[in-house]
Amino acid sequence: MILVPGHKEKGFISNHKPPENKVNQGPDLWAKVAGRALYGIDLQFPGMLCGKILRSPHPHARIKRIDTAGAAALPGVRAILTASDIKQKRYGIVVQDELPLAADRVRYIGDEVAVVAAVDEEKALRALEAIKVEYETLPAVFEPGAALARGAVQIHDHIPGNIAWQRELERGNPDRAFREADLVVENTFSIPSIHPTYLEPIACLALSDYLGNLTVHTALQAPDMVREIMAYVLDLPFSKVRIVGPIMGGGFGGRVYGNLKLYLLSSLLAQRTGLPVKMQLSREEEFSIGRPMIAAELKIKMALRRDGTFLARESEIITDNGAYSAQAPWVTKTLSERNDSVYRIPNIRTRACLAYTNKVPTAQYRAYGNQAANFACESLIDQAAAKLGLDPLAIRLKNCTQAGDTTVHGLKIKSCALKDCLKEAAAMIGWSNRNQNYGYGISAAIHASGSLVANKDFRGASARAVLELDGRVTIFSGEQDYGQGTYGVFTSIAAEVLGLEPGLISLNSRDSLVAPYSQGALANRQTTIGGRAVQLAAVDLKQMIERAASEMAGKPIKMERGCLKSADGSIIELRAVACYHHNRTSGLNLTGVGSYVPPLAEYDETGYGNISVTYSFAAHAAEVEVDRETGAYNIKRIVSVHDSGQIINPLSAGGQVYGGVTQGVGLSCYEGYLFDKGRVVNKTLADYRIPTALDVPDITYHFVETTDPEGPLGAKGLGEVVQVPVPGALANAVADAAGARVTALPITAEKVYRAITKGECRS
Amino acid sequence: MQEQVINFDLNDEPVSIYADPSLSLLKILRDRFNLLGTKEGCGRGDCGVCTVLLDGKAVNSCLIPAGKVQGRNVLTIEGINGKNQVKAGLMHPLQQAFVEKGAVQCGFCTPGMIMSAWALLQKNPAPSTEEIREAISGNLCRCSGYKQIEEAILQAAKVMTGQL
Repeated sequence: MILVPGHKEKGFISNHKPPENKVNQGPDLWAKVAGRALYGIDLQFPGMLCGKILRSPHPHARIKRIDTAGAAALPGVRAILTASDIKQKRYGIVVQDELPLAADRVRYIGDEVAVVAAVDEEKALRALEAIKVEYETLPAVFEPGAALARGAVQIHDHIPGNIAWQRELERGNPDRAFREADLVVENTFSIPSIHPTYLEPIACLALSDYLGNLTVHTALQAPDMVREIMAYVLDLPFSKVRIVGPIMGGGFGGRVYGNLKLYLLSSLLAQRTGLPVKMQLSREEEFSIGRPMIAAELKIKMALRRDGTFLARESEIITDNGAYSAQAPWVTKTLSERNDSVYRIPNIRTRACLAYTNKVPTAQYRAYGNQAANFACESLIDQAAAKLGLDPLAIRLKNCTQAGDTTVHGLKIKSCALKDCLKEAAAMIGWSNRNQNYGYGISAAIHASGSLVANKDFRGASARAVLELDGRVTIFSGEQDYGQGTYGVFTSIAAEVLGLEPGLISLNSRDSLVAPYSQGALANRQTTIGGRAVQLAAVDLKQMIERAASEMAGKPIKMERGCLKSADGSIIELRAVACYHHNRTSGLNLTGVGSYVPPLAEYDETGYGNISVTYSFAAHAAEVEVDRETGAYNIKRIVSVHDSGQIINPLSAGGQVYGGVTQGVGLSCYEGYLFDKGRVVNKTLADYRIPTALDVPDITYHFVETTDPEGPLGAKGLGEVVQVPVPGALANAVADAAGARVTALPITAEKVYRAITKGECRS
Repeated sequence: MQEQVINFDLNDEPVSIYADPSLSLLKILRDRFNLLGTKEGCGRGDCGVCTVLLDGKAVNSCLIPAGKVQGRNVLTIEGINGKNQVKAGLMHPLQQAFVEKGAVQCGFCTPGMIMSAWALLQKNPAPSTEEIREAISGNLCRCSGYKQIEEAILQAAKVMTGQL
């Protein structure tokens, strides 16, 4: 079934959900607990070589000479590639600023200069040591402010002013609103670069055959998008690039495009040697070259009426791109505008600028910078509430976005329980009966669920549902499950339509050779868009099964609760219909197709418009205890209330909340890159600390279930929004307890102590 | 270093290899015995995904030189379920509970996590939540927020002591 905008649907959507214990979590789980699950780092092929990268030791330098002769002569070395050995094509996801290997200049400590393939790791490392590179160091720039200054060192010759991307945006009449306001508050906030810190370092294994087919085994959130770039850079027909996914050891946005350099370089080595080439990043490489989310500085000003009504917001945002750009422009865009739609704010002015620096290149992380905006905007709302003598909860309830709204940026809110989420979060934390010895904070969030902006022309998803000869059903979808529960959601959706036990349905999605093309696991589109395609494919299959069964029986047959029945009560087995069709067509399977094309995202050149299928909402509240002598604080509780529509898979939905809130705690309290002249200082898991079991506060959650008209079975996305409200809620709770506000993440005890002693009182 | 013969018990079977004793136990398990259930996440004892049991004690196998296991007993994730099939109902109570309680997302930390839990339950069959947190505090998990892992270990403890 193909569902395009304007198509009338005929009552096949039911809001009946399968019982919790019926959700089929997928076959991977048993393999994972048994230690039999194979990840990228576990892959082995007969005769495979090990690939290693020689990286720049300088933040900015000209490459004068590379001598690989000594290395090439070493035993066990099969190939060495430098820029001059390959056909270089500039590529990028938004800005075309990368080459597979640095040609004449290196732009950060870690830039790829040469790559080696050898029979084992030891020999590859020895070869790296034997490569001689002569550099002429150049002045480097490490801070976005300095990079944007007149006369600054140019990092990319073809990109003037070190500006990777910028945007100015105005809605309504902010000047008038600020003139007429009763209160104007402002402050500057900052957040450092954050690494997604998936526990499995990225690994890949590339094979190139004599027909020119390239197969890369690596776990990706968006394999087809990576195939596109690889085909372009390597000058291969798209159909000759295949990606097969092993099990993924965590993604969190970091594996949407993963590490393109690694895939390209292993492919080039495989093409050169004709042998399988495996490459993997060490943990130190993950931190020092592995694409964290951009750091940001946000200068924000808000105008309010005396009664707490929000009138306008003005933001100046500078984000730190590092040396190469990947998705940083998109992250900057989301960071600079998504939060504006949490509340009714009629007038907006935003200037955002993404600046190149000679530091680690950046990409994205779960929630796309929305969590950074939450920290800044929700902190400022509390500052304003304090000045007006209003309760932080009341001011949010007064202004929050509601169902039926079209927000300041044109988002059409079809389902929204934000008000109820705020009330419920307040009730759960005991807002009306707050303990005098603790601090309390509350914060709200919106996140796109099924964002359509990545590609205006291709914005939906497709799926196939195949009736196997044994009567089971296989779903082919290009969406990716890496433990976040897509398998359970998709099989539940198909099971619901077909009336079958979820256990009879399996999902096949990891091999681009057989899976439909997809944009992949990003922008919270798995459930909302991919799930809808699965639903449509299942509806199509059901109709085909009924038709084939009727033909076979010579009388009308209906499929109800998984049973094929005629009016006289006779029953046909699903298997029999599958075989009937198989024999009649000499080998075809009954195959339902589903194509879901969401309504066109109509947005103008300023980005005004409805950019997503639907939107998820959340409100979190936190309770903390601050030691005013030292600034140390203890998070006693976080409550997390969500409107993610209908919850299809409650167990994994709970897991998403616990995990997402915990990541939010990490970035609020201690995560973040530290640099020394462009060098990443904290590049181990001992120095870049993520939460351990001892660091997690008491987290409780609640779902306010709305029924979304667009999402399958009324569901909306959850995986990203779970993290967004945490920094705002925690910052406000700490400020409430300390009587002073920390404006730079992470909120460390030292910063709290300094804020207290500086007497920088809460507003 | 000079290679030498190393004899030890691996998953209840005597094994003997000729290897450089300074190589890590993790490398030996993965490269020589193809026991890929023990993962590598950092190679320096920070993440715990390579946790195995050495004479019943949970250790980071990336930090144990192979020479140190001479004559000792090593248990990995592949060994805790005997020779049973990978199937619901035939797994160790910890494995069963991890699946049932939603304690597995990406699963990369799972083998190490289960080994740390196994060591805890041997020593302390009815641990409190605090004791569980302490026992798994060296095992990082980025997906779960640990809550469902703690619940799974509590459930397994009850099953193993006959309370469930």
